[in-house]
Amino acid sequence: MNRIIKVARMQLINKATFIGIPLLILFSAFLFTVVIWWLVRRNDAEGILYGGGAQAPMWYFLALGIQALTLTFPFSLGMSISRRSFYLGTLALFATCALVLSVFYYLMGLVETATGGWWLDGRFFALQWISENNWFIQIMFYFVLMVLLFMIGFLIATIYMRWRQMGMVFFFTSLGILVIGAIALITFTDTWMQFWEWVMTWSAGGVTLWGGLAAVLMAGCSYLTLRKATA
Amino acid sequence: MTQATAIAIRDLTKTYKDLKALDNINLDLEPNRIYGLLGRNGAGKTTLMSILTGQNFQDHGSVQVFGHEPFENDATLARICFIRESQKYPDDFKVHQAFAAASLFFENWDQHLAQELMKEFDLPAKRKIKKLSRGQLSAVGVIIGLASRAEITFFDEPYLGLDAVARQIFYDRLVADFAEYPRTIVLSSHLIDEVANLLEHVIVIDKGQIVIDADAEELRGAAVTVTGDVAKVQEFIGTAKVLHRDALGALASVTIESQLDAGRREQAKLMGLDLSPVSLQQFVVRSSLSSASERVDEKSEAWS
Repeated sequence: MNRIIKVARMQLINKATFIGIPLLILFSAFLFTVVIWWLVRRNDAEGILYGGGAQAPMWYFLALGIQALTLTFPFSLGMSISRRSFYLGTLALFATCALVLSVFYYLMGLVETATGGWWLDGRFFALQWISENNWFIQIMFYFVLMVLLFMIGFLIATIYMRWRQMGMVFFFTSLGILVIGAIALITFTDTWMQFWEWVMTWSAGGVTLWGGLAAVLMAGCSYLTLRKATA
Repeated sequence: MTQATAIAIRDLTKTYKDLKALDNINLDLEPNRIYGLLGRNGAGKTTLMSILTGQNFQDHGSVQVFGHEPFENDATLARICFIRESQKYPDDFKVHQAFAAASLFFENWDQHLAQELMKEFDLPAKRKIKKLSRGQLSAVGVIIGLASRAEITFFDEPYLGLDAVARQIFYDRLVADFAEYPRTIVLSSHLIDEVANLLEHVIVIDKGQIVIDADAEELRGAAVTVTGDVAKVQEFIGTAKVLHRDALGALASVTIESQLDAGRREQAKLMGLDLSPVSLQQFVVRSSLSSASERVDEKSEAWS
């Protein structure tokens, strides 16, 4: 247990990586968005303004998942850390960061609503599709999305560490075949309309649930892969 | 296996595709000694150390460190330090951050020693690791190895890129710190003469097999080179095992694996033969080469 916490502390030795950079990305995305809203309002635009910048740090988590593994994993082996401790410590740290950031998103959403969209009627944190849910689903939605992106990066990186280039070729070829297969299936059965109608029925709660399941599945796969990975 | 054994290796085999990196290895390492793990590049030194530290896995056989399998065993791994020659560090780490990480995981970590060594190796604490020169990178590994004071410490070709002064600092520090804090040290090297005086026990590995596993004391003087008239040399060496033979006209220089007593030395003198000592490096080189040619002989016999 002790060593798991130490792994988390090791990942935090450079605080920029897990805390500084995501916050920087979020605040600059937010500032840019607000400035653009203000410019738009000066030209007497009507209606609600939406900004998608809140997802900006989430894409960084995809890269972070890759980086946490490819660079820190070989180092952690040199620090005589078992793969299990490395895995649990890294995931625990990321989950904590993601949870804090998710709560922060939720709180900023409350502020956004209270201030009438930052006095500009803009929507950055409290996108309606999400903010119409209760607080728990809102926080879990952000949390699951962040963890999911991190796990995608983490899983791809573990496959690389274990099987190197061959693993990458196999993984992306299989993924490509699956995606093309799905597209072909929908095209040949002429069910694109139904597909998009089905997508429109997705709720934030449902996405959270299925996304959470996918993240857990990927976490399991990456652990099994990491067990026999080498530096 | 006794409780006192630090590392016990039984029938260890590791194959990479068609290359036998380790071929049925058996070894016992006692605690609190300095071992030299010698051999050519690609002989299997790093593979062996990787398996001993749970960083890689064997195909067959077993490895016990202080009586436990090291693989995925935090309690055992915590007693080991192995910084590989090509150790990777997180991209954004500075030198002092790598030491901060090491201080988390090695409970005997001596920050004071690390700082002293940093000064002696002239290592800039605030520089990013990826901007270091090869020698400075080696120095980081050497410092982690020494300051961790782990019960078993592996040094994997620790001198790469280090200049002669820095190498001497490393050897001196290693001996001094070992005297104060005895532990098991495995020094992997192909610069044999440089480390010969540090070693208490020598293990030579060649093409995945153990060629020599003996006390350094035994090996010093285990071989001798006899030089003189061809016929007289042949008469003198008799049936002793020949490690190497050079001939120039009527002169021959033959290295034999044999410990000569005073009587034999006197005899050589009377026969007009020159005896010269064989350094550990020469002995290892000759042994590796002759073991390689033996294998070739076996093969060619199998063919015929």
